Amino acid sequence: MSGLMILSILLPAAAGIFLLLSLVFHRQQSQAFAGAVLAVSAVLVLATAWLGGGEKSVTLFYLMEDIPIYFRVDEVGKLFATIVTVVWVAAGFYSFLYMKHEGMEQRYFGFYLLVYGILIALDFSGNMVTLYLFYELMTLCTVPLVLHNGSREAIMAALKYLFYSMCGAYMGLFGIFFLYRYCDTLTFAAGGTLNPELVNGNQGLVLAVVFVMLLGFGVKAGMLPFHAWLPTAHPVAPSPASAVLSGIIVKGGVLALIRTVYYLVGPDFLRGTWVQTAWMTIALMTVFLGSLLAYKEPVFKKRLAYSTVSQISYILFGLAVMSPEGVTGALLHTVFHAFIKSALFLTAGVFLFQCGKTRVEELKGIGKQMPVTLWCYTIVSLGLIGIPPFSGFISKWHLAQGALEANVGVFRWLGPAVLLISALLTAGYLLPVTMKGFLPGKDSTAAAEKLEPSRMMLIPLIILAALTVLLGLFPGPLVTYAGKIAASIM
Amino acid sequence: MSAGFMVVAILLPILAGAVIPLISFKNRVWMEVYIETVVLITSVVVWCLILNRPQEAFVLFRFTGNISVSFQLDGLGSVFAGIVATLWPLATLYSFEYMKHERHERYFFLFYVVTYGVTLGIAFAEDILSLYFFYEMLTMVTVPLVMHTLTREAILASRTYLYYSIGGAAFAFIGMIFILSYGSTGDFVPGGVLDAARLGTERTNLLLVIYVLCFCGFSVKAAMFPFSAWLPKAGVAPTPVTALLHAVAVVKAGAFATMRITYYSFGTEFLKGTWAQNAVMLLTIITIIYGCSRALKETHLKRRFAWSTVSNLSYILFGVTMMSPLGLIGALAHMIFHAVMKICTFFCAGAIIYRSGREYVHQMDGMGRKMPRVFTAFTVSALALMGVPGLCGFVSKWNLAKAAVNSQNGLAYAGLAALMISALLTAIYMLTIVVRAFFPGREFDYGTLEGISDPNWQMLLPLALFVIAIVLFGLHPEPVLQVLRAIAAELH
Repeated sequence: MSGLMILSILLPAAAGIFLLLSLVFHRQQSQAFAGAVLAVSAVLVLATAWLGGGEKSVTLFYLMEDIPIYFRVDEVGKLFATIVTVVWVAAGFYSFLYMKHEGMEQRYFGFYLLVYGILIALDFSGNMVTLYLFYELMTLCTVPLVLHNGSREAIMAALKYLFYSMCGAYMGLFGIFFLYRYCDTLTFAAGGTLNPELVNGNQGLVLAVVFVMLLGFGVKAGMLPFHAWLPTAHPVAPSPASAVLSGIIVKGGVLALIRTVYYLVGPDFLRGTWVQTAWMTIALMTVFLGSLLAYKEPVFKKRLAYSTVSQISYILFGLAVMSPEGVTGALLHTVFHAFIKSALFLTAGVFLFQCGKTRVEELKGIGKQMPVTLWCYTIVSLGLIGIPPFSGFISKWHLAQGALEANVGVFRWLGPAVLLISALLTAGYLLPVTMKGFLPGKDSTAAAEKLEPSRMMLIPLIILAALTVLLGLFPGPLVTYAGKIAASIM
Repeated sequence: MSAGFMVVAILLPILAGAVIPLISFKNRVWMEVYIETVVLITSVVVWCLILNRPQEAFVLFRFTGNISVSFQLDGLGSVFAGIVATLWPLATLYSFEYMKHERHERYFFLFYVVTYGVTLGIAFAEDILSLYFFYEMLTMVTVPLVMHTLTREAILASRTYLYYSIGGAAFAFIGMIFILSYGSTGDFVPGGVLDAARLGTERTNLLLVIYVLCFCGFSVKAAMFPFSAWLPKAGVAPTPVTALLHAVAVVKAGAFATMRITYYSFGTEFLKGTWAQNAVMLLTIITIIYGCSRALKETHLKRRFAWSTVSNLSYILFGVTMMSPLGLIGALAHMIFHAVMKICTFFCAGAIIYRSGREYVHQMDGMGRKMPRVFTAFTVSALALMGVPGLCGFVSKWNLAKAAVNSQNGLAYAGLAALMISALLTAIYMLTIVVRAFFPGREFDYGTLEGISDPNWQMLLPLALFVIAIVLFGLHPEPVLQVLRAIAAELH
């Protein structure tokens, strides 16, 4: 089983590097190659995650005497790897057509596959140093996706993304150095590995360090005060790349935070401290501010990026309340948001690809031209707002429940209240597109010719929308699964 | 092996180098063969010495009583000698190609080879006087190398270099006198030689002042703030000099000397926890940030890397000032790994200047496609300097951080934070070059780079070896770390 795991990491990574280094491929060949590798690796990843029981772990080698590069498939890792795979395959097949108008396809697919391998490694990382290694690689290898179109704006955005991310990573690393001393081991264990004897007398220091780590890994998750890179970097990328950046890469930050808080430091150590209060405050501020900025943003893809800022902090708030229900909600929202936000960016890509429209007010009457696309958009939007029976409702319900049941003082009611206000704002910035799209008004001059994209682009969109509906209607197994994880790490 | 071979290793390059202008070579190739042979033989001798370390000391000559120039090879010296002996043949190979476009090659190679012997003298020095002797000599023989191009700028730079170094050595001299008067011996002994009986309690503070002076004096060569200005100026020297001497041999001789006086002369027991420790540590922390910030502002390629060296040397000094075995391990690890990374960076810069004549960061647009091999090596060294895991920079950073966290000293925590800030700044000043080179933007016209290509094998081979070393040390640093742990274990 461990061989399979290594293969599922190595195959896409090696294939990606191969694509980058070989310059002779014909366009169709490189696409066929990328598609085949993507499909095979997806099967491998899912097989690694879900087939066969028992402990699946492998120590690759020792970096230093007590620091192995170590992979282990655990429940959280499985969940993340599955989300990554679904979105990666969907956006990948969407790219085949979309990337035609962006050019440099071979480079794009090379990095796309490489990042896929890195993400799987990140999800299956069994200790903090391994996680950090792939966290850095993830940042470095996604930069070319951001600057893909080569405009000055894109390159500057990519650099901003790179430097914000490095800053966050180094803050995280700073904390890892300290945890290395104050934890028994850097290998993840549910509930944390902090050594109470060593910590005794140094609580203040450890808390401060954990706070620095939260801020650091929060950079990737677009948490205040380091969110500014996200609305700059995500929109300039080609749309399928924006989809995976906003849907998946930001979740790298979430995963690092889960690992730090629940698998190294332990929630018991943080519960009731100033760190928890500060984290909840920052998360709620980000939820509100992100929504507000999205509401005011006229450029469609930028609006979606601000929405990511807000939505990821829903997840962070769920993690910060440190109650089983809250964590369940956070994990569920991780899943749902990944599918929904990817779908939203893919829709934005369709608008851009078919008629070159980038601003929200240009989208008037678009529903007449591409009804299927807009229906998909509407369904996932409703999901993100949290209207039953779509998936977002389930996660938000658990998040609110988590806040209410936790012993977190004023946040018990403040949290759900902010989530509610933000949901209203979400409706305010997403639904006008639907309304104006289907009902442009009498004076609209929009032509009614059909502009629906080809199936290659439509099917991924439909699948993601269908997942939003299905997971909303039948959330049972997933909720149980997330609940099980939450219970195990408390 | 007999201790006499140490003298062979020192004198062979000095003598064989000194006669280079006198020999009439048939053509350039014969000169290259001669020089490379001398350097290689010396390196082989040094490595044989390191692997079969002679136990006894070798006294070259005795002034009076116990004051002598003598050599002994211990663990610390082996590390420094090992770095130098490994890099010198490669750098020499590289300079054969590079120096084709400079004049007065013979005099260049004369001093280049002589410096090798002098540097080995520092590594092998048994006592503080011998160290001081070779330390001064190092200044003298490297000044002509800085001056090599004989432009006004070069002459001014060499003068600055000379004044800084001599001034630093003067402070070090004061330290030496005090060690000889208050120590039981001038030799380097793990744990220090200060004699409590001679010292008394009332002179503690005086000795601490002297330590700070002496540390600062030796740190001039390691370009510690506020004595760092000479290093970027000295970047006018030919690239093989900047790469080998100003990233490795000369500057690390300074760091090496501070290790000697801290751990082997004054002793950490005497220094640890005093204001003197905090004072020197603070200076190193300031330098770490200062060097990086200046690197960020600098647009000239080689000067940017020189400022980066300033910052990285203070990583080493920061490790030294932790005054713990762990700190020494971190410092030595960074001494080795930084040598490999930075020489790689400088050789890339040299290759770029040699092939294209472009020296400024903004001229690097699109160069990645024209010189793919050089820029791949450059990218690897940049990532290593940033401390990406899996490359050697991470290993030394990890060990420095381990020492800082274990020191339970607030200032060391601040130093660790400085390391992280410095890593971020490193990412900024290195990766902007990488991004420019590989992704110049879609409007970029590759026609402007006509005729630029990767250099020949004499330049590429060292680069390839360094890249391999960066990755190997990064993935499997244990053998090196074990050696360093053994050295640190002697301190108890």
